[in-house]
Amino acid sequence: MTALTFTLKNGLTHQLDCRRLTNQFLADHTIADIEAMTLESHHKVADWFTVSGSDASNIVFKQTNSYLTHIGHQMTKGRITIEGDCGDYLGQRMQGGSILCKGNAGDRAGDKMRRGILLIEGNTGDYCASSLMAGTLGVMGFTGRYLGYGMKRGTLLLAKQPTEQATWVDCGSHHLPFLKLLYQSFSHFDSQFAKLSSTRAQRWMGDISGIGKAEILFLNPD
Amino acid sequence: MKINGIQIDDTYAEAFNMRGTRVLITAQNLKWAYHAANAMTGFATSVIGCGVEAGIERELTEAQTPDGRPGVSILMFAMGSKVLMQQLETRMGQCVLTCPTAAAFSGIDSEDQISLGKNLRYFGDGYQIAKQLPDANGINQRYWRIPVMDGEFITQETTGMVRAIGGGNFLVLGKSQPQVLAACEAAIDAMKKLPNIIMPFPGGVVRSGSKVGSKYPKMFASTNDAFCPTLKGAVKTALDLDIESVMEIVIDGLTFEDIAFSMKVGIEAVCNLGADAGIQRISAGNYGGKLGPHLFKLHAILGGSS
Repeated sequence: MTALTFTLKNGLTHQLDCRRLTNQFLADHTIADIEAMTLESHHKVADWFTVSGSDASNIVFKQTNSYLTHIGHQMTKGRITIEGDCGDYLGQRMQGGSILCKGNAGDRAGDKMRRGILLIEGNTGDYCASSLMAGTLGVMGFTGRYLGYGMKRGTLLLAKQPTEQATWVDCGSHHLPFLKLLYQSFSHFDSQFAKLSSTRAQRWMGDISGIGKAEILFLNPD
Repeated sequence: MKINGIQIDDTYAEAFNMRGTRVLITAQNLKWAYHAANAMTGFATSVIGCGVEAGIERELTEAQTPDGRPGVSILMFAMGSKVLMQQLETRMGQCVLTCPTAAAFSGIDSEDQISLGKNLRYFGDGYQIAKQLPDANGINQRYWRIPVMDGEFITQETTGMVRAIGGGNFLVLGKSQPQVLAACEAAIDAMKKLPNIIMPFPGGVVRSGSKVGSKYPKMFASTNDAFCPTLKGAVKTALDLDIESVMEIVIDGLTFEDIAFSMKVGIEAVCNLGADAGIQRISAGNYGGKLGPHLFKLHAILGGSS
């Protein structure tokens, strides 16, 4: 089966909520059914996407831009790949499965995420990992303001040094063999994340304005 | 039946049902993986006094372990699932959690899962972190990261528990103690290369084979007098006059076939030494059906008539 692919048509100049384009809504539907589905904005899927493929457990977004919001909202399983930029609320309330964004993401990526793996190869907007409860969020690029705001548990893996956050405490630099397990889970992706190898990371715990059981790991060279 | 001048008795080893599990132990290097594994499989020669029978199955390369570090796999067997769970948790806590750089992972798939680090996580006093990640096959596995003084202790939450067999065995009978021990060492060297089995006794060899029951009511096992050379004249002996020493190799394994094959490999290694090496006979621990339902017939295993 080929990946269920949503190719964005030209001309989108407003935000388009894509929360219904996940495995749980799309499984066992034909392309005609999917094209006729209504998005949150009352647009039909076919108004903005060309749909192809059949495997709803492997969803691909192509020719994307930052107007596409809520991709992977509450997804429970399967994989979503975004071959470009996306908008706000990527992976919000995610419950499982994995998302790979090959471009930049907007604000509040991973907001209230509870489980799964969310990987962003580009930059993120503000409030990345806000109120994240568990799971793993990786960012290769730069992160915006208010990183990990209200984050409760879970891991935020960064390749670029974050700006200092008042409510995160520095726990020092460490060799963490656990990262090898994490990298092995990334090996399933066609991504820069699959090339990571350093097991040395600077570790912060936070957000101490809340329960403070989350961690930010900034990867250092071995 | 004779092989290389060594008589193979027309008898069988009698084995019993057990529950088994496999745990993969990794560490910064093999030296520390062995430290953890040796501790974990220590004092685990016989269920009679140790609760479990355990041993190191084989070494693992970096490519064979979940965390890409060198390691060893261990097999652990008990008479029931409750004891196995209890012993595994205790040994994990005292032998692997405590060992610098060591980590523990499930080494066997099964519908029956038993706790590996599930309860050990509380040692983290609230700072433990659960991670659910896909393994090399894309199947989600749950791990625990427990903060300890050398960094983090990583353990998978559970491992599989399977039905297994314990007590496969054969006896090596010879003219002198050094010759019998040398023959047993040759057998163990050959058998250690095989998967899915362990020889739980010291060095893989046991010199105190037992019979069921005793003249003392409180003892449910006692010395196998029929095979004790110094009692040849005093009891109904199974030994010829020129046999001066007997040693036993006991095997626990995951399946009947694993044990049978390991017995064949071990016996053949002994027979390769020939009668000139002082080995007279190969026999087996046969308890007349009192011990267990699995019968390993020596002649059948070695490909002869039974």
